[in-house]
Amino acid sequence: MINGTTLRFLQDGRVVEIDFAGSAMRPSTTVLNYLRSLPHHRGTKEGCAEGDCGACTVVLGEPGENGRIRYKAVDSCMLFLASIHGKQLITIENLAQRKGSETILHPVQRALVVEHASQCGFCTPGIAMSLFAFYKSGMEPTRENIVDTLSGNLCRCTGYQSIIRAAQELCSHREPDHFDANESHTLELLRQIDSQSESMQFVHPGQTYFLPKSLEQALRIKFENPGVHVVNGSTDVAIRQNKRHEYLPAILDISAIGRLKGISREGKGHYVGAGTSIEALKEFAASSFPALSPALGVFASKQIRNMATIGGNLCTASPIGDLIPMMFALGAKFEVIGANGKRWVEAEDFFEGYRRNCLKSDELLKGIFIPEIDENVLIFSEKVSNRRDLDIATVSLCGAIRRDGQGVITDIILAYGGMAATVKRAGHVEQFLLGKKLTVQTVDEARQLIARDFNPISDARAGNDYRLAVAGNLLMRMVE
Amino acid sequence: MTNNPHHESAIQHVTGEAVYVADMLPTGQTLRGRVVYSPHAHARIVSYDLSEALKVEGVHDILDCKRIPGDNQLSVVNLDELCLADGVVHCVGQAMFLIAAETDEIAFEAEKLIRVEYELLDPILTIDEAMARGNRLEPPRRIEIGNVDDALKRCKHVLSGELKTGAQEHWYLETQAAVCVPGEDGEMTVYASSQSPTETQMVVAGVLGLPAHKVVCEVRRMGGGFGGKETQGNHVAAWAALLANATRKPVLLSLFRDDDQKITGKRHPFQSIYTIGFDDEGRIEAYMVDLHADVGIAADLSMAVLERAMFHAENAYYIPNVRITGHTWKTNLPSNTAFRGFGGPQGMAVIENAMDRVARYLKMDAAQVRFKNFYGIETRNETPYGQMVENNRLFTIWERIIASGNYFERRKEVENYNRSHTLYKRGLALTPVKFGISFTTSFLNQAGALVLIYRDGTVLVNHGGTEMGQGLHTKIRQIAALELGVPLEWVRINATNTSKVPNTSPTAASSGTDLNGMAVKNAVDKLKERLSPCAKMMLNEVCGSQTEGDITFKDGQVFFTHEPTHRVGFVELVKRAYIERISLHATGYYSTPGIQFDKDRGKGTPFHYFAFGMAIAEVEVDTLTGRSKTLRVDIVHDVGDSINPQIDMGQVTGAFIQGMGWCTTETIKRGSSGELLNHSPDTYKIPGIGDTPEIFNVELLPLAPNPKAIRKSKAVGEPPFMLSFAVWLAIKDAISAVGNHEQEPDFQLPANCEVVLLSMEKLKGNG
Repeated sequence: MINGTTLRFLQDGRVVEIDFAGSAMRPSTTVLNYLRSLPHHRGTKEGCAEGDCGACTVVLGEPGENGRIRYKAVDSCMLFLASIHGKQLITIENLAQRKGSETILHPVQRALVVEHASQCGFCTPGIAMSLFAFYKSGMEPTRENIVDTLSGNLCRCTGYQSIIRAAQELCSHREPDHFDANESHTLELLRQIDSQSESMQFVHPGQTYFLPKSLEQALRIKFENPGVHVVNGSTDVAIRQNKRHEYLPAILDISAIGRLKGISREGKGHYVGAGTSIEALKEFAASSFPALSPALGVFASKQIRNMATIGGNLCTASPIGDLIPMMFALGAKFEVIGANGKRWVEAEDFFEGYRRNCLKSDELLKGIFIPEIDENVLIFSEKVSNRRDLDIATVSLCGAIRRDGQGVITDIILAYGGMAATVKRAGHVEQFLLGKKLTVQTVDEARQLIARDFNPISDARAGNDYRLAVAGNLLMRMVE
Repeated sequence: MTNNPHHESAIQHVTGEAVYVADMLPTGQTLRGRVVYSPHAHARIVSYDLSEALKVEGVHDILDCKRIPGDNQLSVVNLDELCLADGVVHCVGQAMFLIAAETDEIAFEAEKLIRVEYELLDPILTIDEAMARGNRLEPPRRIEIGNVDDALKRCKHVLSGELKTGAQEHWYLETQAAVCVPGEDGEMTVYASSQSPTETQMVVAGVLGLPAHKVVCEVRRMGGGFGGKETQGNHVAAWAALLANATRKPVLLSLFRDDDQKITGKRHPFQSIYTIGFDDEGRIEAYMVDLHADVGIAADLSMAVLERAMFHAENAYYIPNVRITGHTWKTNLPSNTAFRGFGGPQGMAVIENAMDRVARYLKMDAAQVRFKNFYGIETRNETPYGQMVENNRLFTIWERIIASGNYFERRKEVENYNRSHTLYKRGLALTPVKFGISFTTSFLNQAGALVLIYRDGTVLVNHGGTEMGQGLHTKIRQIAALELGVPLEWVRINATNTSKVPNTSPTAASSGTDLNGMAVKNAVDKLKERLSPCAKMMLNEVCGSQTEGDITFKDGQVFFTHEPTHRVGFVELVKRAYIERISLHATGYYSTPGIQFDKDRGKGTPFHYFAFGMAIAEVEVDTLTGRSKTLRVDIVHDVGDSINPQIDMGQVTGAFIQGMGWCTTETIKRGSSGELLNHSPDTYKIPGIGDTPEIFNVELLPLAPNPKAIRKSKAVGEPPFMLSFAVWLAIKDAISAVGNHEQEPDFQLPANCEVVLLSMEKLKGNG
């Protein structure tokens, strides 16, 4: 079943092969640390090692749907080396071309130079890589798109104005670059390294890393190795590794399983595969499911959304997981698959405690079913954080209200994040509102009950009094 | 291009070729250094055991304070900061042990095996606790003018209050780092991320017990400094040097982000109490303020920071009766340190908040009240410390920004908006900045340079300033090229190196270009004087004449000023000069004239000149969450005759956004034991790209030459930081709108969501 033990990816136009058995590198060594161990790839910087600054941004190239390469910016500090198997790793060193002693800058680099968009220069390689992915995406250089592209790249020097100008200037007239010129060759190389490998198993003396291609294989690995840690985008566990030097002995990476990815219409709703990236979900929401958009518009950063998956966000079962309140309000159902077959779990039953879900040791989350929203149901959601972009919720709320012809509330879900050890519904408030009409006065009264439902913590993000006040206030959005 | 050349390292930045400390690869085996620091704010070290950790394979050495060959001291000012803890730890983050290992991972594993037994002692964690225990760093300082007690008795209106301003983490993108390479005969070469190479050199020499001439410090560039590497970059360098000395191998010590945030000092939090007296028109007659700074565990630069806070306590306003008292309180927290503005922001915030309060009290427009109190041109221009405000640009700037920012129209629009909206409120504010330029520690106002001309005509400039992104090297390169009359490409700026230019002052106080630019000009002037006779000889040979006259150096050529038609190339001149045995290198030196300050009397002329600016900000505040959004910002800022307008624009916008972060989202929170709660960007939020205003108009004040500085330019690094008070006070204006401006809102800095919401809830009667 396993037919490959050597990691292969493209870098600097060549196939890189790593056999972990004799390597100082672990499969879970981050791409950032791998790059910084090389003699000539120190342009990629470590700024925070937790995906909050983007100095380590690199771009992954993969065959896209249209026969072209799709370029995605990712944070290399949270990317396990083994997970880039079969992909093209593009770093800052690859943008410019050398012709003899001359350096020909990539248009992205030229724009940054011309607009004086680097000061100390430390964030610049990451910014250049995010802009490179943007350049290749063909997206319009509107302020919204530029902010969306760069909200995962912190700069402490410029105040961003020169960077915004560079992005506008750069993307107002795109021209083919050397990546286009080499595209067919690159695609051919990618095909070669991917066809050589069905499922992979990378073995290091201290770590076994499974990278299966099929769900069946994944389930078997999970069954045979009950302690194996499942990762998909690795954005959560990589931080623990970076900060606490916790190296997992066994990792099951399900990111190569095509069947787990994608969104399809099913019956009266949509089925979202657990391996679907948050970015793909965001694109889907923008085109076909606007109720999801507010939560996804402020979900982490582009780099993280490209890596993180809906399954990862849900299975982490964090009280501040951005998508969880939404799942409560939409009445989503979770499809769980294990050694003994499938079962469906209601969203609310999936979460059992602080960062604890209901999956048994042999089970995986396969996907979620999101029913269509009835016409007479009002969905609203809001995430409150200190900074709008790339911040974790202090408090979040997603609500669903069903009203009859007279406007009387017949069904209500108010799911709060950040108010308890898990995402939790405001039972007292819901009960109070049930059978009433939505008026400013009613909601104002309902607001007073929030302290009966929650007694939130005070922490680095906010105090108990702020959380309670905001949780109550957010109800006013219903009557806005 | 000559007016606006891009950053001298721009190509290296965008290609990833630019080398930072952690990117260096010295020859041979480089060990990784790790600092083991105190988890407690105050504790006695009862015992410790390094033996298990030393057994870990790949660990080369672990040092405690007994292994320091020289002085166990990091401070160059007050000698109150141990390099490694000796018996007692005084703050969370205080260094205790140093590990040298083959990898970071091995060092981390070794740290886990170090056993320390502590006896916890009672810590002082706040200014209030320090006051209660009388734990002062130094006696209070005072600056006074007029008679504030009498004046306050006479004033028709008197208001008193308190303002807290928070700490701020520098969040340079490149964390503190140093590589130390041991050499022969005890030599140590330090590649540092330091704003102050000479102090780094001296501190390293001190801990190693070496004379200064055996230690070289080199700084190619920093990935951001902002004051955070003015003294505290020395610490990491000293730790790395001790390990390199003990192992006789190169050692790289680069702090992990969370460690950097926990260990290093921040902008000083202040707690200030003020009384302000004024008339019906809003003219301020008297102002009394007590500025209380939390200095942390050691002096570091705190007395200078306090002084600058005091020098800026009245900001741009002439007040006839002023008493400013500055207090420094020691706490068991990492020593607070320099941060862009250096106390200026903390001092100014109090008067700006008070001005806002006066306007609300009198039901007047706050910008009008400010305008009425601006320093005058010929009269009303004496500062509380006795220096006259010269070349006052406040009125010129006011006129421009009131017009370009359309202030009074927008004031009406904001009022209209607030009348028709309840869930969102808008606010508008205009704030000025007057900022004194010079180190207030007068002896630091000196700089050196060493300019080398090679036989091919290319020029290598060494100077004492360091590059941290501010564009200093770019401006110096421009200055050298312009003064020497050669193309920019012929000039390179060397890494700052204490073996080329000794006794450098820190690159700080916005003075980098002023001081080093002048020193470079001085060196170039010497070279031109030496080359001129040779140039005359060559020109006369060309023309077959015996002309005398001044020589002009321009466009890579030299010629008689009175006869530009006959020219000799600079390269030919240099080649000939070498043959003629004329020295082609020169040192330069500059010290700022006419500045002094008498600390005891609180009088003097501490500043060479002042920089001025003004900003208007409009914000929208969500009354349900307290979140604010900056909608529009207009800035007019005075940079003299800019040497490089694009670099200056970058400084203005960058400083403004950094200031906006301090005023809004950047909150430092500590737990009950003094531990830092937000020790990573996960919870410590500096502004992101989406936080910048959608409309952001920045104008450099045109036609405003500064007679006091190099090429009539003006310092720019710090002053625009304080323009961000416009955002802070626009937020207050929006909060105030919730109560129809009838009540003074609770307010502090930062005005984060929590502060804003709870203040609004109180106005709504919910608080």
